[in-house]
Amino acid sequence: MATGFATKRLSKELSKIHGNLPPGITLVSAEGFQEWLLDIQVLDSNPLYMNQTYRLKFKFSPSYPIEPPEVTFVSSPDRPIPMHPHIYSNGIICLDLLGQQGWSPVQNVESVCMSLQSMLTGNTKNERPEGDANFVANNRRRPRDIDFYYHDNTV
Amino acid sequence: MAGPEVNIDRGKSLLLKDQGNKCFQAGDYAGAEALYTKAINHDPTNPLLYTNRAMSLLSLSKKGSSEPQDPSAIPVLTPIQIENYEKVIADSLSSIRLHAENMKAYYFLAQAQIALHRPSEALASAKEAHRLCVEEIHKGGKGASSIGPITELVLRCKKEAWEAKEKERLDAQGGLVRELQVLLEKERDRRVEELHSQAATEMTDGEGVNVPVEEQKITEEYARKIEEVRNMGVAAGTVGEEGKRRNVPDWCIDDITFSVMVDPVVTKTGQSYDRSSLMEHLKRTPTDPLTREPLRMEDLRPNLALKEACDEFLEQNGWAVDW
Repeated sequence: MATGFATKRLSKELSKIHGNLPPGITLVSAEGFQEWLLDIQVLDSNPLYMNQTYRLKFKFSPSYPIEPPEVTFVSSPDRPIPMHPHIYSNGIICLDLLGQQGWSPVQNVESVCMSLQSMLTGNTKNERPEGDANFVANNRRRPRDIDFYYHDNTV
Repeated sequence: MAGPEVNIDRGKSLLLKDQGNKCFQAGDYAGAEALYTKAINHDPTNPLLYTNRAMSLLSLSKKGSSEPQDPSAIPVLTPIQIENYEKVIADSLSSIRLHAENMKAYYFLAQAQIALHRPSEALASAKEAHRLCVEEIHKGGKGASSIGPITELVLRCKKEAWEAKEKERLDAQGGLVRELQVLLEKERDRRVEELHSQAATEMTDGEGVNVPVEEQKITEEYARKIEEVRNMGVAAGTVGEEGKRRNVPDWCIDDITFSVMVDPVVTKTGQSYDRSSLMEHLKRTPTDPLTREPLRMEDLRPNLALKEACDEFLEQNGWAVDW
């Protein structure tokens, strides 16, 4: 496939997105077509996430959207990593939608953000995944190469 | 693909062809072209030699222009490039004469024709290449890798065809504005003249009109009218080009590339995708993008009515190729 595949699709996503995102999702930066930053907020009164803003980093390969983007939370002083049994403290997200198997090319940046929003909204557990400290200390793999065990897709 | 049975010195010709292929792979397109020419001299009946030479000439011409990757820029062709593209056309046609169902030849033909700004011819060739490509895929051939670039080429031809038509329309409109302007100027002069002759006859009466003041009024009135006609022309031009530019209906958009569909195919969910992008997805994961149920290429059906609608939409809105 021609190299322009991802670029074309992303430039169209960008022109659709501009000033037209659902509530609680903000585009922070989209310089070039390799890496975008977006902020998301949980808008209901879930006490775990109230009044917080979280930052997402999307990394796109040249064959996006055939290949999934790499999506992680990134932390900064005012942007923590949300507490969730499927989100490691280094920002790596365990969500089947973002894996090689669960991804579909009809997904897009906006729909991924919305899925993550609802993943947070529905959560009541104030905890990290099992073995978080060990994973964060030892993992050197890219998120997309990790074979997560999707033990509970309803969370 | 098999070569023809009859030939003059087939062995020698094939040897030269192999040498040509090596040159081509090494990026020596001029060397490749010369070798294919020699190969043709030894066997003018092998259609592959013509497509190979066409491919060398295409690469040679593209290498010559500074920004071959940028489709939005209109490159100025050098005389050598023009000559090369004409040769590509001749070679492609020779190849098609020898072997009618020739996807490559139509693909090269379309590229040369679009480079020479002959969009309607190019579109016809690109469509034929697309048809043959889909046929080849159904037969299990290796057309799958070409469907993406061919689909893109069809879109580019559609855009240029629309641009040519749009330019004609705007030129015609510009002509109309100029014509109206001339008519208004004539009317202005006639009224000024009338004013002068009226003043001349009324000379004898004491209370004649103030000619310079009246003339000034008429001149101003017509200057305003001419300006208005011009503005209307500009506004109408804007409606044609910019005003409509914003709205691409969702029904014609492929959900994988977000481009207007060229060859929509429908899955059993009822959702349509462009054949080229869905195939790209199926190569990686043979599942329906929406339901993730198993989906094979053979399960796809062309969506003819939607194809018609997309064609018609692009005919009127060629800009949507790059929305």
